[in-house]
Amino acid sequence: MGGQKKILLIFGSIAVLGLIVLPFFLEGYWIRVITSIFMYAIITAALNIIAGFAGYAAFGNIVFFGIGAYTTAMLMLRVGLYWWVGAIVGGVLASIYAILLGIPILRLRGHYFAIATLGINRATEQIALDWGSFTGGGKGITLPLPQMEINTFYVMIYFIMFGLLAFTVLVNYGIARSRLGYALRAIRENEGAAEASGIFAPRCKIVAWAISAFITGITGGVFAYWFSFIEPATVFDIMIAVKAFVMMMLGGAGTVLGPVLGAFLIELISETVWGKFLTVHMLILGIIMVAIVILMPRGIMEFFRKKFSLAAIWNNIKNQAV
Amino acid sequence: MVFASLVFPENEGGCFRIFREPDLPANPPGEAQQGERALSLQILLNGIFLGAIYVNIAVGFSLAWGVMDVINVAHGTMIVVGAFVTFACFKAFGLDPFLSLPISMAILFIIGYGAQKYLLNLVVKVGIFLSLILTFGLDLVIINALLMIFTGDYRSLTPSYSGSSFQIGSLVIPYVRLAILVICILLTALLQLFLSKTRTGNAIRATSQNRQAAQIVGVDVAKVYSITLGISAALAGACGSLISTIQSFTPFEGGFFIMKAFIICVLGGLGNVWGAIFGGLLLGVVETTGASIFGTGFQEAISAIIMILVLIFLPKGIVGSKYK
Amino acid sequence: MALLEGKDVTRAFGALKAVDAVDFQVREGEILGLIGPNGAGKTTLVNLVTGTYPLTEGEISFKGTPITGLKPAKVSRLGIARTFQIVQPFPGMSLRENVVVGALFGKNGAGRSTKEAFREADRWIDFVHLQDYRNAGVDQINISFRKRMDLAKALAMNPEVLMLDEVMAGLNTKDIEEMIALVRRINEELKISLLVIEHVMKAVMTLCHRVTVLHHGGKIADGSPQEVVKDPRVIEAYLGERYAKARKGSET
Repeated sequence: MGGQKKILLIFGSIAVLGLIVLPFFLEGYWIRVITSIFMYAIITAALNIIAGFAGYAAFGNIVFFGIGAYTTAMLMLRVGLYWWVGAIVGGVLASIYAILLGIPILRLRGHYFAIATLGINRATEQIALDWGSFTGGGKGITLPLPQMEINTFYVMIYFIMFGLLAFTVLVNYGIARSRLGYALRAIRENEGAAEASGIFAPRCKIVAWAISAFITGITGGVFAYWFSFIEPATVFDIMIAVKAFVMMMLGGAGTVLGPVLGAFLIELISETVWGKFLTVHMLILGIIMVAIVILMPRGIMEFFRKKFSLAAIWNNIKNQAV
Repeated sequence: MVFASLVFPENEGGCFRIFREPDLPANPPGEAQQGERALSLQILLNGIFLGAIYVNIAVGFSLAWGVMDVINVAHGTMIVVGAFVTFACFKAFGLDPFLSLPISMAILFIIGYGAQKYLLNLVVKVGIFLSLILTFGLDLVIINALLMIFTGDYRSLTPSYSGSSFQIGSLVIPYVRLAILVICILLTALLQLFLSKTRTGNAIRATSQNRQAAQIVGVDVAKVYSITLGISAALAGACGSLISTIQSFTPFEGGFFIMKAFIICVLGGLGNVWGAIFGGLLLGVVETTGASIFGTGFQEAISAIIMILVLIFLPKGIVGSKYK
Repeated sequence: MALLEGKDVTRAFGALKAVDAVDFQVREGEILGLIGPNGAGKTTLVNLVTGTYPLTEGEISFKGTPITGLKPAKVSRLGIARTFQIVQPFPGMSLRENVVVGALFGKNGAGRSTKEAFREADRWIDFVHLQDYRNAGVDQINISFRKRMDLAKALAMNPEVLMLDEVMAGLNTKDIEEMIALVRRINEELKISLLVIEHVMKAVMTLCHRVTVLHHGGKIADGSPQEVVKDPRVIEAYLGERYAKARKGSET
């Protein structure tokens, strides 16, 4: 495995360096595109902590994004705080939300947990819509504009998102190697046996979700500052959550780099398709999702470990068919 | 003829629109002037009318879930397909929406059967979330197809009798609503009969209880699954045809229906026709009652919160544990 | 002195008693056998000790302190480990990772770094002679190895009391011999006290210092293996009334 790791490291460093110098060579549109890819990667990597490691499919994880966005917006508007303070507070609030809700919800198994998180996202979105006096309702909130030249601003956001992404990857890496990581994986594989081995499952799950929520929340805050306008439909959009799920699965749920890779791949494909095939954009995305599930249920990373061949794929399909 | 709009003057077509158009003004509390008892009976009746549709949505959705552990997220969009089929028949041939039911059911059966046979059966064993994501992808494909054929405009059907109703005492009963109620009852009864009396139905029930045991006895599980999703889709198609008569719709309407389906299945328990009936009616009555008291605001949020509370405190649904 | 003790332990579902007022003791340094016909309540009793099921009545204590009502994870960390009748592995992880979970979260796990935990896991993998399969995936190894992996994981939790639930089930003669030797080593070398649920009589007779017999949830006999095997009530429970009568008849 040493050789593979070396290749990964070299390739990775080149990629990272490339990404750092990229904004100085690209025009505004592409800078925003790549920033958007970073953002998806962060959301996916954060989702990976609860859904990939722990195996709890938090389909509604996007709710924390929305909470972070709204917190930042309102703190900036009403209290006059800096955006980054707002974002951090947003992350903390999202964490608290996750902890409070996690205590009852994380006791649910499988499907029910997934649906509960969808319900939570929907309920929160509706509250944001209906509580117009507080949240601006369907009209959304317009944030104070950044006090700097627009292109510099976009480059700054690029690096902020990049930094957040690096942070999230490091968090994933740290968790994977830590006690918490083993605990979460044991919970995912066999929760009963995990508890018999001395793992306090509720505690571990809540911590995982809180971390996931915190990161997602901060990202929502940065998004709010970036776009200067948020509304419930955008920041609680379930499509983002679903896309993140697909990205995570394509890349390999429960791995460290998989989710990021998956996000890059799907977003790049998405951007290209959107550009060329506007009307069939959803169709192609849908077909890709179906294909991924059937052909590569364990994700791309699995391919890097096992042999990649058409025969192997066909065998897999035959084995998993009813 | 008394128009339904007299009871709820602010809302065109009755309270059923409330859940979809949050900009509509809330029911002013002064409605009570009409005679409280008559009003609450009317609300109950409206709740049952609404509940009938919900039951239909839930029965189809929970069939797939209960039998195959497949959460068919595309179910909502399949309902919309049914609505569009009816719309197309109406516009092209002037076919009465209720008469197009067999057509939409047949088309959707084929779609469901095909989807299960060629796609879902390949991943059913791997994990529950994979089938969820697959159906999400399917959902996107179907929505996009609808977009390409019909565009994203709001569509509606206006047969000659829409909006007309008759009265019993002070109760207003729209003809269309009554027809929908009757048809929903019929469909549900037919499904129950099918499941309990026919060979295929029994095969479906056996497979849902124990897939391996059913295989050993000689049941062709793959075929049973395909038929199940076909039936589930057909029910969605019927639902769509019925819904097309009472509200306007776009290709994106599906997500809303799916949320209702989730809530009802949680309320009523899974894979259980009686649970779907109970959950659907309960939700219908709760929503109409809530709307008349609180107005349109927060209605959606309340439904979602109810679902979460039920999940927390009654994980097996109000009706009890899974009975197939 | 009793390391693990249960008094009047009962688990009832309405009128049905899965475990009925059972007193039992695992003394320090001994191997206690828990036998009885199928459905007697043996696994239920173990589940009551671990806290997987709640007690309806009675009390269980460990080293003198009551542990009734504690969660399974807590009980494990106090020093009571168990294996499962049907092996409960972590499917997606390798053998080594399976055992490491025990090393990380068992009694001495809290102070261990992951590196130390892996070393501890390796020690126990060697102990059960599975070193050749260290990095194999769980789905690649057969049942007898999986049982030993389960055992290694339980040992990695550094327990003072180890409860084995039919650890010999499904093994062939040679494997049974090896497992008996392993259990003896665990008791004599590692000084771990054991509670062993078993149907394989050979293991019970050779390993156990004392045996407790359950039937229909209640305790019907208690004593040395030799005594218990001759007890008429035990014979009746296992082999039926007619055999017991016939045997009694032939003895007089």
